[in-house]
Amino acid sequence: MSKKWHISRRRMLKGMGACIALPFLEAMALPGMSSPYSGSAGSPVRNAFLYLPNGVHPDLWSPAQTGRNFELSRQLSPLKNVKDDILILGELMNKNSIFEGADGHYAKTASILTCLPIKQTIGDNISSGGISVDQVIANAVGNETLFPSLEYGLDRIATGVDINVGFTRLYASSISWKTATQPLSKEIDPRLAFDRLFRSFVPGKAAKEDPWKRSVLDAVMEDARNLKKNLGRSDQDKLSEYLESIRSVEKRITSEANKEKFAANITPDIVKELKRLDQDIDEYVEMYAGVDVTEKTRLMLDIMALAFWSDATRVITFMFGNAVSNRNFSFLEGVNGAHHSISHHMDDPVLMEQYARITTWHVEQYAYFLEKLKSIKEGDKTLLDNSMITFVSGLRDGNRHSPRNVPLVVAGKAGGKLKTGQHIIYEKNTPLANLYLSMLHAQNIEVESFGDSTGTLNGILV
Amino acid sequence: MVRSVISIATLSCMVVAMAHAQEANLYETTLRPILEKRCIECHNTGNTKGGVNIDNYKEQARVVKDGAFWLKVLDQIKNRDMPPSTEPPLPDNEYEILVKGIDSVLQSSLRERVPGHVVIRRLSHTEYQYTILDLLGVEFDAKSYFPSDASGGGGFDNQGGALFFTPLKFERYYDAAEEIIGQLRADVEKWHAIVPFDYKQTWWQRLANWVKSLFSDNYREINAPEVAAEKVIVPVATKAYRRFLREDEKDRLIELFSSVYDATDTLSNPHRFNEAVAQAFKAVLVSPHFLYRAEEEPRVRGVYPLSNFELATRLSYFLWSSMPDEELFSLAYQGKLQDTLVLEQQVKRMLADPKAKRFAESFAAQWLGVSKLLENTQIVDPERFPEFDMTIRKALYRETVEYFYYVLTGSRNMLELINSNYTFVNEELAKYYGIEGVTGPEFRKVDVTERWRGGVLGMAGVLTTTSLPTRTSPVLRGKWVMEQLLGVSPPPPPAEVAELPKDEKSHSAVGLRKLLERHRSDPACFSCHVKMDPLGLGLENFDAVGRWRDSYGSVAIDPSGVLADGQKFNGPVELKELLLQEKQRIARNFASRMLSYALGRSVLFTDEPALRQLEQCLIDNNFDPQVFIATLVKSYPFRMKINDFRKKVDEII
Repeated sequence: MSKKWHISRRRMLKGMGACIALPFLEAMALPGMSSPYSGSAGSPVRNAFLYLPNGVHPDLWSPAQTGRNFELSRQLSPLKNVKDDILILGELMNKNSIFEGADGHYAKTASILTCLPIKQTIGDNISSGGISVDQVIANAVGNETLFPSLEYGLDRIATGVDINVGFTRLYASSISWKTATQPLSKEIDPRLAFDRLFRSFVPGKAAKEDPWKRSVLDAVMEDARNLKKNLGRSDQDKLSEYLESIRSVEKRITSEANKEKFAANITPDIVKELKRLDQDIDEYVEMYAGVDVTEKTRLMLDIMALAFWSDATRVITFMFGNAVSNRNFSFLEGVNGAHHSISHHMDDPVLMEQYARITTWHVEQYAYFLEKLKSIKEGDKTLLDNSMITFVSGLRDGNRHSPRNVPLVVAGKAGGKLKTGQHIIYEKNTPLANLYLSMLHAQNIEVESFGDSTGTLNGILV
Repeated sequence: MVRSVISIATLSCMVVAMAHAQEANLYETTLRPILEKRCIECHNTGNTKGGVNIDNYKEQARVVKDGAFWLKVLDQIKNRDMPPSTEPPLPDNEYEILVKGIDSVLQSSLRERVPGHVVIRRLSHTEYQYTILDLLGVEFDAKSYFPSDASGGGGFDNQGGALFFTPLKFERYYDAAEEIIGQLRADVEKWHAIVPFDYKQTWWQRLANWVKSLFSDNYREINAPEVAAEKVIVPVATKAYRRFLREDEKDRLIELFSSVYDATDTLSNPHRFNEAVAQAFKAVLVSPHFLYRAEEEPRVRGVYPLSNFELATRLSYFLWSSMPDEELFSLAYQGKLQDTLVLEQQVKRMLADPKAKRFAESFAAQWLGVSKLLENTQIVDPERFPEFDMTIRKALYRETVEYFYYVLTGSRNMLELINSNYTFVNEELAKYYGIEGVTGPEFRKVDVTERWRGGVLGMAGVLTTTSLPTRTSPVLRGKWVMEQLLGVSPPPPPAEVAELPKDEKSHSAVGLRKLLERHRSDPACFSCHVKMDPLGLGLENFDAVGRWRDSYGSVAIDPSGVLADGQKFNGPVELKELLLQEKQRIARNFASRMLSYALGRSVLFTDEPALRQLEQCLIDNNFDPQVFIATLVKSYPFRMKINDFRKKVDEII
């Protein structure tokens, strides 16, 4: 009954039309929302990697000026409220996405966070070349949170194999790799994603915890160990995935310290936001029609913001779409068609205009997320200040499939380690992995190299 | 220095020796050393010139597994293209050894009928769903609850290499088990089908047990809960694991039961008993023995047959997407499944069972690509085609499944997939197609007077999923015909490809045909598009949602064409007839797709003899699917296995 009276923020946004840029409305943010990390003792660094499929309009991306005084380009214009919080980096390239047999998309997607060549296969020996950078971070800091990392997206894994280039479409759909041979599952349903993290904190929704879970897990863990002895080597490797998964779940349910810490993090401000979001998700499910994906995207981004805010995790990846995504963007004004098709614009100005609008929509969502993080205080800083939120595509211009000079923005200061508010153009074909190495160093993960890195990037670390 | 002198001497002896002995490890002993000397410098893990890594191939079995690649290697060496002219050429004796040796390794693998290794398979979501239904009678929507999987091999979701396990998946499996067992307990009838009694100790039994316990720590309890529990837990676990339980597996489940039972003495029976049984059931549903179809590896050499239960499991997941039923299970127990006559009878019985529709659905929907119709994503532009809603999408999906099922079990000629004079519709779909006189929601076979509809190329589901959201794509349709029906894959387009304008308005002015002709005039595009485009243009009478049309607005459609081999046709009806002449390719395509689906892996080089046999079987038996499937399950890749060539890990942590 009360629902009738409740005008959610989302409904209001809907009324305003989906195509205009929507900055996070400060007035609607809970006043003085503050994070559990409000003391001056160092807040943890949060990492998110947002992946954009199909590239961008190549001429409307990079700002005309470099350095601190730059003007945002058209496609980057939604970032105006966070201009001082971002780094726009030019001429970086994922070199290992080019190899003999590499195709236009798959080889540039599965390796976007590994920076190593993927294995060309239709499914029998899937390999991303190596661990992805988000998982390197999760390995280093994941022990401190309830979830070492989260993997989100909007679309199911693309089915089928692309026999004419010889790749399984899994490669189009996975950017997080625990190991070279172990892609992580992507959560795409806001309801399931929300409940996994927060259900027990929504008043009236908490389900009772299963008291027998540990005993059940112990029994099947023993099953798996015994089974493994009787298998051949490839099967043993495959079954290790099971053993590792069960261990990670067991660790979570037995780690009282982390559970208590997480529960303590759920401040009254967070509970308020949880309730609101929970209701929005309910409404969304009710009215889901499937064309305009803005709403779903924002729900996922809201969950991500909450996950960072409550320190449920410090590492998240998010895929706006699978590579080669042919999402129908006709819900945007002035766009009539599907993403991948439009990205093959053949330099036709009409198509290029539509391409730019689609990219701008993605940057709007990114800006929404950044502004949301910025609205949350952590001590004398904001959640955004303590984050590194990367927005990247595997290729520059969809019409040319070129992995050189990839579209790339990093937002947030990593707790003061990054010098944001700059547009920097590097030497041509600088390894993208150099950025990742810099990001690892910025949060004191001291590794000598990552992927094909040759060093850290100049000019971004304090 | 000394070494090379010796090796030259020994090598020349080996050429002679090789001719006589079919060495099991010819590769390791003789070929590999030469490759190491001559090839690996440029073709190793750190340096993969031309994308080729020879260093990877340390074992003969690996060479055999990638036989298709080694045929190319052989070709290069044979033609003296490798080593390249910049390197010293191969001495004659080494040339001889390599060319003969590689050839012999590959030939003998075909002669010896080496089955490929099938990696352990996690149940696909479809298989999980059906197995739960057959095991417990509970319906569970696994596909929307579990994080989605990818496809591998022949493009199916049951391919072990592409089925992963992750922490998130484990959580979902656990929650699913809880949900499923919860549903089972809530439904008295279903619960009693599995646990057919209400467990209780009478007051007299309790008293007697108490008295016994006073005299001994090790007494035998009368009507002990463990004994009763075993009677219900073991049958469920046996079916779920698709084999008999080992002693320790049984013990673990009973121990789990006991620990729950002991800890819940505040509950009264039968509730207490049921609660504890439910926990054991949950363990069964998240056990790797249930979630994986494992084929164990005994320490034997060479090729050997699958165990009886493993064979029953392969068979039932192939044709029913689920666990073996009682008959299969008992045949396996009696060891009769290895008998090819019994196998044939079982194939016949299984295809006649309604559960065969699951196979029809799973195989056909994935092969033909219509599973996209059920996914909750836009495939056409809703403004342009508002009538193409979820109802019609579901109906189109159903049409393909019913049609395939009929071909499989009714018509028994797989060529009718390509051309026939019937299709399957309900009232909704009949209206969409403009077929009159069909009422009601159920699907039925109807004769089609317009001959373009009969067969997959007239199905609006196929025609739509091979179109773009706003227009048809003759290239995509042509490519689909080549790949899915003829099994020929055109190479990928050059990196800088241009697509057609997205809007039909713009091409109706010039004509789509003209645009494509312009495209084809580019020599880089010609060789493939001359094959693909006519196939797709022949289907231009179907619009982007599969409805018949005669023109693009004001411009009439010209559906005529010339195939790459010069044969002419006019429109889809004649096109289908021309396609039917490609019997060999169609048979080969059926064979390799179905083998890949049945085994859950890609087709390998060593499958070649089996594929030839299957291809011939189709051609000789008028494309009869039952004979074909029986031949498939009797074939060595389906019935035999070989151990992994990599060394096992013995220490399990």
